[in-house]
Amino acid sequence: MMLQFDRVELDSESDALRHHVRDFIADNKDHLPQPNSDFVTGHDAEFSRKLGAKGWIGMTWPTQYGGGEKSNFARLVVTEELLAAGAPVSAHWIADRQSGPLLLRFGTEQQRQQYLPGIASGESYFSIGMSEPDTGSDLASVRTTATAEGDAYRINGTKIWTTDAHRNHYMICLVRTEAATENRHAGLSQIIVDLKNDGAQVRPIANMAGGEDFNEVVFDNVLVPKDRVVGEPGNGWAQVTSELAYERSGPERFLSAYRVFVELVRICGCEPTSEQSAAIGRIASHFMTLRRMSISVAGMLEQGKDVVVEAALVKELGNNFEKLLPEIARSVAPDLSLESPEAQRLFRQTFEETMLLSPSFTLRGGTREILRGVIARGLGLR
Amino acid sequence: MNTQQLIEDTATKIFSDHCDKALLDRCEQGDFADDLWQQIIANGFHQLGDAASGTTLADIFAFLKVCGRFAVPLPMAEMLLGHSWAAGQLAPCEGLVSIGRQRGDQIIHVPWGRRAQRIFGVEEHSLAVCVADAPVCVQEGNNMAAEARDTVELGSATQQITLSDDPFAQMALARTNLMAGTLQSTLDLGLQFAAEREQFGRSISKFQAIQHSLAVVAAEVAAAQRAADAGVDALGTDRFIAEVAASKARVGEAVGIVAEQVHQVHGAMGFTHEHRLHHFTRRLWAWRDEWGNETYWQRVLGARIAGLGADQAWGFIATRG
Repeated sequence: MMLQFDRVELDSESDALRHHVRDFIADNKDHLPQPNSDFVTGHDAEFSRKLGAKGWIGMTWPTQYGGGEKSNFARLVVTEELLAAGAPVSAHWIADRQSGPLLLRFGTEQQRQQYLPGIASGESYFSIGMSEPDTGSDLASVRTTATAEGDAYRINGTKIWTTDAHRNHYMICLVRTEAATENRHAGLSQIIVDLKNDGAQVRPIANMAGGEDFNEVVFDNVLVPKDRVVGEPGNGWAQVTSELAYERSGPERFLSAYRVFVELVRICGCEPTSEQSAAIGRIASHFMTLRRMSISVAGMLEQGKDVVVEAALVKELGNNFEKLLPEIARSVAPDLSLESPEAQRLFRQTFEETMLLSPSFTLRGGTREILRGVIARGLGLR
Repeated sequence: MNTQQLIEDTATKIFSDHCDKALLDRCEQGDFADDLWQQIIANGFHQLGDAASGTTLADIFAFLKVCGRFAVPLPMAEMLLGHSWAAGQLAPCEGLVSIGRQRGDQIIHVPWGRRAQRIFGVEEHSLAVCVADAPVCVQEGNNMAAEARDTVELGSATQQITLSDDPFAQMALARTNLMAGTLQSTLDLGLQFAAEREQFGRSISKFQAIQHSLAVVAAEVAAAQRAADAGVDALGTDRFIAEVAASKARVGEAVGIVAEQVHQVHGAMGFTHEHRLHHFTRRLWAWRDEWGNETYWQRVLGARIAGLGADQAWGFIATRG
């Protein structure tokens, strides 16, 4: 079984873009850095609008929908620069990465025209409505129903772990439009819910890191117009599985703990001990390799290839590494009580915040266990 | 088909036909694989990296990956790199060429030093290498894969040449590419064994625990391939040492995980001498420690990044290639 991650070199245009993004970041210091590089934690609508104005959201989409018709590589450059800098990107992140591409691929023309320009301008934000209280990894077991009633669907059920549903405008919700049969994957559909206006009740759930990012979203006879169904009714399963492939290989799958690395290098200073050097080098060797693998996958996406297994491999490696990084860092970090207050503050804040977020790294976007199953299938084991 | 693909395909064909378990067992007892050696020469692989043959230094490393896949029991890295180092600087050597680490008047850890007619002695942090054209083998030894690793004295005919890419790092990169190939075969053996072995009335590949172990192995093997290629791509650039550092450190880290997991999948069978798995895993364990282990190279890379400073670290990592 040859697992091919081809050598891909970014073009010279990417250098110019990269410097442009760095200049932008330098000009917007008041928005960043956050103490961590986690793509979920910084919701900053003003920053997202500024990115939209630069053309850095929906970059790969057709211009007629507000996109920039740029390559997947250009998008990768922008996203990795933002994450590495600790920029607050969560407002537009899901819409840019996932909801927009889904609408482009499966949505109606009217839906594309209605939603994509707002996403690209950094003004319209989306959440993912997949998990339910009794549905986690076993996604086909969703029980939220959408029953046809004239020109509308009546939705009943509960979605959970819906990141930023309390802040975002829309949610693309996986629902049963037909009763479950032996074929569990049949009868599912995706439907766009207007979180501000349709009457769904959104209740934030506090997480262990002290944040309120995810939510429970309750649908009690919520009526949604029929034209909000994404693609064909009943095609939901094929759509969500293709959507998940988009979300698994990007730089956010290995950069969540990047700021811990930066603060480790800072606190170790220019004359690190040999243990500290080894720790820094070990972390860097992972970053360099993961990043190249992620670029390889961007190259495959660019060629329209199926990347399900490769994306799962990047996420598996990347998420495990995101958890390993703080462990390596703490094993060599100097005794903080002996350091200056400023050095202590930066390292400790970054480390503690990332540590507290770390359980989510191997859960979101497909658990480690699900990903290993995807890889095993690719290896012909199941 | 490009040159590298042709090299890989031809080498795969030769090794499939001529490098089997029986040969590996024989060489472990001290035999030199003369027949295989003749095949390699007959196909011109000894000239890889020679401008005259239309190949490059990078092709040597691609070939070494294939050698690693078959656990080829010959000092191919030393032969080929030695040949490329001599080009234009030294008279050609018709006999076996090898490379070891120089320590005073000796060169140590020399693959097949007992047979070599020219041996290069490499020191860390030096572009100069010592050439011994009449080396005297003073002690025969082995690494943990029972590959010949001998100690030689420089002898009478010595000289020095200077290389453009760091020789110590070139050797580390050679081991890295050998390991990348061997890791690939180790995964393949694990997949094959899991499919064939039945317990509880079904193939063990159907058990989730086994599937997850092999998924972890596959991820490490994939990372190792990409890391090994990155080191090769840095040949001739000012990032060469840093990229080799990342490459050997990352691949070495994969070795520990992969060898452990694949042995576990193989159960007691893989612990026997009769099974061929150990020819691969023992080489992996030996090679990760040769020419700088993970810690050595992590320190090299870490010191470089610490020197740049925290806010320059990303600029160092975010390369184009």
